[in-house]
Amino acid sequence: MLKLMKYELRKTWSTKAILLAVTAIVEIAYLIGLYADKEGTMSVSVLLLILLAFGGVMVIGLESILTLHRDMNTRQSYMLFMTPNSCYKILGAKILECGVSILLTGAFFFALGVLDITLLFAKEGQLSRLWETVQQFLSHFSVNGRALDISVRTMSAVAFVLLTAWISLISTAYLADVISAALLNGKKHNGFVSFLLFILLSYVTNRAAGLITASIHDSYTLMMVYGLIDLAFAAVMYVVTAMIMERKLSV
Amino acid sequence: MLESREVTKVFGAKTAVDHVTMKLEKGHVYAMLGPNGSGKTTWMKMAAGLIKPTSGEVLYQGQPVSIASRNEVAYMSTEPYFYTWMTVRDVGKYYQDFFADFSMDRYQALLRRMDLTEELKTKALSSGMMAKLKIAVTMARDARVYMLDEPFNGIDLLARDEIRAAVLEYATSDKLLLLSSHLVEEMEAIADRAVFLLEGRLVENVDLETMRMERGISMADRYRQIYGHTEG
Amino acid sequence: MQFDSTRPIWLQVMRELEISIVTGERGPGEKLPGGRDLALAYSINPNTAVRVYQELERAGLCETRRGLGTFVTSDTQRITALRSEFAHQTVHDFLQQLQRLGVTREQAAQMILKEE
Repeated sequence: MLKLMKYELRKTWSTKAILLAVTAIVEIAYLIGLYADKEGTMSVSVLLLILLAFGGVMVIGLESILTLHRDMNTRQSYMLFMTPNSCYKILGAKILECGVSILLTGAFFFALGVLDITLLFAKEGQLSRLWETVQQFLSHFSVNGRALDISVRTMSAVAFVLLTAWISLISTAYLADVISAALLNGKKHNGFVSFLLFILLSYVTNRAAGLITASIHDSYTLMMVYGLIDLAFAAVMYVVTAMIMERKLSV
Repeated sequence: MLESREVTKVFGAKTAVDHVTMKLEKGHVYAMLGPNGSGKTTWMKMAAGLIKPTSGEVLYQGQPVSIASRNEVAYMSTEPYFYTWMTVRDVGKYYQDFFADFSMDRYQALLRRMDLTEELKTKALSSGMMAKLKIAVTMARDARVYMLDEPFNGIDLLARDEIRAAVLEYATSDKLLLLSSHLVEEMEAIADRAVFLLEGRLVENVDLETMRMERGISMADRYRQIYGHTEG
Repeated sequence: MQFDSTRPIWLQVMRELEISIVTGERGPGEKLPGGRDLALAYSINPNTAVRVYQELERAGLCETRRGLGTFVTSDTQRITALRSEFAHQTVHDFLQQLQRLGVTREQAAQMILKEE
């Protein structure tokens, strides 16, 4: 399993390296802005870092989906499917590598955020206009009609629900891609079909999650439960995807 | 060792393999012959577990082909399939990671015989070099069954001699080798049995020396007899 | 070695070995290559190589000693008999050719004596 994960990482590491490099550059820009008292640079850097955090996680997920698609629909499929590994292991390794990458990236940006804020407080000793800018930005988002507050508790719940939502989305995409590959057997445009299936499945799972959580009003609980539901859906979809791969996939 | 029972594969409207029933025994080198589209590749992929039959089954050592049989059945496809970001060395390491019977020493020896260096990137390989790499990495495994799909395609004369020699070295009494190729004459002396497929069906499974003695024809002659009037 | 693929290969390799024995290239009692080495040397299937030695042994031209290998027979009479067989066959073929060309045996004998 670890070996499979090692190769999944190698397939995607260049994207991750670029993400890391760009983040490093922006972080340096932030630090320059902070210590050279250039609020403009700082603000832009912070916004860019937030964009990189969300964008980075999205890109990792997207790349994972594309890699699966390529691994099933091109000749490179032989590399995976001729090895004595069950589809459960192959798929599991992909999901784990992607999941771990996403969680690590999320944690990394979270830690970076904490570091940057600490440095800011250490230097300024007070809430600066920058912090207000960020607050303004985040106040545009709300959960179930209630505005977000900036407590650590809420922030981590938000992070949790966003990450699990993304993981669930990726599992949905995996399932859609495998179904369409199994049905169409590598014919052209199966990417289009898999996208349609993806939309359909996402809609269904979202409705189901919405129904289950309809009675919860506390935003924190709501987010945690939603996150857990997403993880449960992701697990079920993993099993179904692996089952379909095992029985029906011809490469 | 490898048994095909009424194996059929249908792709939409096309029947690629049509109720093929045959037994391939260890200790022999089989030539699998037939024109493009006769079902050779599809059959091999089913024996390798890459494709599931529409009906029928392929048995390895009496058991249906499974994930476990991939440990002992080595398949080499006609097309290149290595990850493009890999070097020749990476390909070897990949096989070493997943196949217990892979020997890095044997791999390196085969690379030398084929004039390939480990630093080469797979995406920089010419089609001839790619063909040689596929053979090297497949034969570096100590499998019980080797299925080579078009092993001589795109390969120069000297390398073909090397491949023939390697095939003969591996043709021991406990192994089964199955070679499919258009280059019928290349295999006349090294194969001792031949399987002929036509439009997905098995035409014949013969012992070559017996055929030569009884009918006074070569494998190439038999090929022309079977496929001659269906072409052109 | 180039084979005639329409005739059994074991027969052709056997013939090659017979000739080498008869010409003395391989002396009586000399060790022959192992089955697998023979296969590699002639680029033939190992099962074919096995057949070669089986038939050669049946013809009394070699013997397999367990664990030691296969050896040319030490029976010089057998080898002489084979040489004689080949010689007769060569003469027979030669005479057939002559007949086709319309040359008489007396004319042929003359040509043989004059030939360098």
